Amino acid sequence: MRWHTIPPDDLIWRELDGELVVRNARTGNTHLLEPLAAEVLRALTEAQAGLTVADLVARLRDDAATEDEWSGAIEAVLTEFERLGLAEPQEP
Amino acid sequence: MIVADLPESELARRLGGAGLRLRTGPLVTEIRSRLLEIADGVRLHYRDHPAEEPGGFADFHVRLVLPRGPRRWLRPQVLFQFDGAPPFYPLPAAQAFPVLEWGLNWCVSSHCHQYLVVHAAVVERSGRALILPAPPGSGKSTLCAGLVSRGWRLLSDELTLIDPGSGHLVPLPRPISLKNASIEVIRRFAPGAVLGPTVQDTLKGSVAHMKAPVESVRRASEFARPRWMVLPRYEAGTPARLQPLSKGRAFMHLAESSFNYSLHGRRGFETLAQAIEACDCYEFAYGNLEEAVELYDRLATST
Repeated sequence: MRWHTIPPDDLIWRELDGELVVRNARTGNTHLLEPLAAEVLRALTEAQAGLTVADLVARLRDDAATEDEWSGAIEAVLTEFERLGLAEPQEP
Repeated sequence: MIVADLPESELARRLGGAGLRLRTGPLVTEIRSRLLEIADGVRLHYRDHPAEEPGGFADFHVRLVLPRGPRRWLRPQVLFQFDGAPPFYPLPAAQAFPVLEWGLNWCVSSHCHQYLVVHAAVVERSGRALILPAPPGSGKSTLCAGLVSRGWRLLSDELTLIDPGSGHLVPLPRPISLKNASIEVIRRFAPGAVLGPTVQDTLKGSVAHMKAPVESVRRASEFARPRWMVLPRYEAGTPARLQPLSKGRAFMHLAESSFNYSLHGRRGFETLAQAIEACDCYEFAYGNLEEAVELYDRLATST
C-alpha cells in the first residue's frame, strides 16, 4: 500500500523555528505537527508516486530505535494523517 | 471635531435623534439611544474620539432601547439593536454602557472581515506591538490597563485587527473592560486613570470601564508591527516570569483566538504565520501588576 498526500495545492505549511504548521484547504483545519509527523509529510509530498511504510522507514530511520519501532511509529502517523484528511493509502 | 467639542445638549440631540457618528480607529458607528447611561458613558469614555458629521457613512448602525411592556417600569431592561434587529437578549438597564461595549465588540468580530480579527489585547511601544491573546480571567485586561497607564499605547483591549495585506496591526482604541478585583487593582495602580462607574451583577461579575488614554486615541491612525506575542496568566503570589513559547504553539493559540481565521483561508494562514515569525513568543505568569509592568519595560528596551 502506497501513501499519498492530498494534492499539494490543498496543503500549505510553514516551518516556524523547526516546527511545522500545516493547513489543509480541504477541511479548513490547521495542525501543528510533531517532528516525526513533519518529516513524514515532507517525504510524502516529495514522492509523487507515493511511499510505503517500508520506504518511509528507510528514509527516516536512525539508530535510536529498531526497524519495528520505526514502522509502528510511522504507521501511527499515517493513520492520524488519514483521519485528518492529510494523506490517504492507495493500492498499488 | 471630537465628542468633547459637542455641547451636552448637542450630544444628547444626536444620540436621541439621527445618531452620533463615532469614529473608533478605522470604523464609524452610528449610535442612537435616549438612555442617560449611554450619554454619560459616551461623554466620559469617548470624549477624545472623533465625532463625524451627521449623515455620512457609518460601518455600523446600533441602537440601545428599553423594550416595551410593563417590565419597562418594574425592572427596566436594555436591548442592543444592530440594523434594527437585536442580536442578544435584553439585559438590566443599569448595564446599558457595558451592553453598548459588548455590542460594539460583536459588531467588529462578526463583520470586519477585511481584517484578521483576534481576541487579544494589543499595545505598542516605538512602533512594536505586544499581542496578548488570552481567555477571560487570565488577567489580560488588567495587564493591558497597567501597561497603557505606564507609557504603552493602547491599540485594543479586546480585538486585535491584523491587515492581511500588510501584516500591520490596526488600532481600535476603546475603553478597557475591567472586571471584579481588577477594578480596584487599577484604581490603586493608576490613580490618574479615568474609570466609569462599577456596574454590579453582570454576566461577567462587576464591570467598570477604563477610558483609553488620550494619546492612544489621537494616534489611532498609526499602525504597529507585531513584535511580541505573550500568553498572560494571573496567579496570585506568583513572581512575574516569561517563559519561551514555541512559535508553532503560538501560531495555534493565535489561530484559535481568531474570530475569522477560517474565513480568510490561505491568506489567514499566511497572515498569522507572518505575524508569528516577527514575534518573540512567551508564556507569562504574574501575581503583581507593578512587577509585571516593570518586566515589560525591560523587555521593550532590551530587545
